[in-house]
Amino acid sequence: MNACRFWLLLLILLFLPAVASAAEKGNALKDDILRAEPYSDAEKTGDLQRGEKLEIIGKKGAWLHVKTAAAEGWTRLLSVKRGTAQSGSAIKGVLDVASGRAGTGKVVATTGVRGLNEEELKNARYNESAVKKMESYTQTVQQGRRFAHEGGLQAVQFDYLPEAGQEGEK
Amino acid sequence: MRMVYLILAFALSSFLPSAHAADFGKVLGDVIKSTTAGGENKENAPDQAGRQSKKAFNLQAPSRTEEIQLGREITGNLLGAAPLVNDAALQKYVNQVGRWVANQSERSDLPWHFGVIETEGINAFAAPGGYVIVTKGLYRRLENEAQLAGVLAHEIAHVVRSHHLKIMQKTQLLDLGADFLGKQLGKNEQLIQKIIGSGAEICARSLDKSAEFEADRMGVTLTVRSGYEPYGLPEVLQAIGQTAKDDDGVSLLFKTHPHPDDRLRQLDGAIGSRLDGIKDGKTLAKRFYRLKSR
Repeated sequence: MNACRFWLLLLILLFLPAVASAAEKGNALKDDILRAEPYSDAEKTGDLQRGEKLEIIGKKGAWLHVKTAAAEGWTRLLSVKRGTAQSGSAIKGVLDVASGRAGTGKVVATTGVRGLNEEELKNARYNESAVKKMESYTQTVQQGRRFAHEGGLQAVQFDYLPEAGQEGEK
Repeated sequence: MRMVYLILAFALSSFLPSAHAADFGKVLGDVIKSTTAGGENKENAPDQAGRQSKKAFNLQAPSRTEEIQLGREITGNLLGAAPLVNDAALQKYVNQVGRWVANQSERSDLPWHFGVIETEGINAFAAPGGYVIVTKGLYRRLENEAQLAGVLAHEIAHVVRSHHLKIMQKTQLLDLGADFLGKQLGKNEQLIQKIIGSGAEICARSLDKSAEFEADRMGVTLTVRSGYEPYGLPEVLQAIGQTAKDDDGVSLLFKTHPHPDDRLRQLDGAIGSRLDGIKDGKTLAKRFYRLKSR
């Protein structure tokens, strides 16, 4: 019984940082409305002003639960620019707080790695066996369908999104 | 002051747009040299008659086989720059997700191939004929299958709309050069090499901004059609957008693409409330294949 409690505590401790780092900072990309629930017809709880600083306290589908200095509510994911390291990177979040960068709203993550550059691409030599290897993993239409089915995915009818402002409401 | 602008304008015009032209200009030079070296005279220049002759490789209207052949060559060069990650389970998983997403496109007939390459830089590439490559650095940033689907869907869109092919075609050299070079050499391999330039440099070329925005819109659409949570791609863009512009891990990506913030803004305008009806999209975070190494 005691051992059980110990593991439970350990589990909670392990997940605590992830929960803590979920309180991500960000700012509003545009003027928008805050709502009581993550639906476009939910009751309005306040306004979001472009550039306004906010704290992200939750996420549900296309909606973010945010807190500004004046109000709290749900707003569309794309109305917000997230301002700290990606969620899930608990250590990075902790480091930001420790270095005092978290509150500046100008936090940028660094990868600290070197990517492929143009010179390397230009000098690359054709590798036939690598292409063959890549092609060996190829899946058929049916295999793709089966894989989707296993994950509970179902194809949805949906038209291509038109360019912004091309017909329909914005 | 005006002079500075003038110089700047000149510098820009001589560097940016002509970068492609210069490559192709060189190729054109080579092509002409190879034709004239064989003792041919001017009558062999590409004229109408020449175009109607049997073509070895037609880039203005490539066949499915030609498109695949071209993409295969580009991919082989790219794999020469960075090998596939040695993890069969990862490669298979990426092909499973990619295949399902590609099934929802107009080009489900293509034998789509997907791969993750061994570089920590953040990027993804597409080549004609259905070859799609994601870097390990980008894969590492993903949190669930919907995000992977979103990234692959963006690249699939480039292939579906022939964005890279169009860039090659735009230069005109392709039709021109392909026709009579084909006659001269009769070897598609050599011809393709002329078209794509040296190594995988074609992967470092920028597409039009509008092509990237289109691929983003189509990417979100294909993600939705596949039954995933629609915001996989925007979430990845949000994460990448936080990386400093001069960071070497994203420098090539940022150089060849509009800034993620611009892409998100465009997507927001296109999406509006159109996705409000999509309720049962899945993220499949549990099934998402996690990299073995850190």
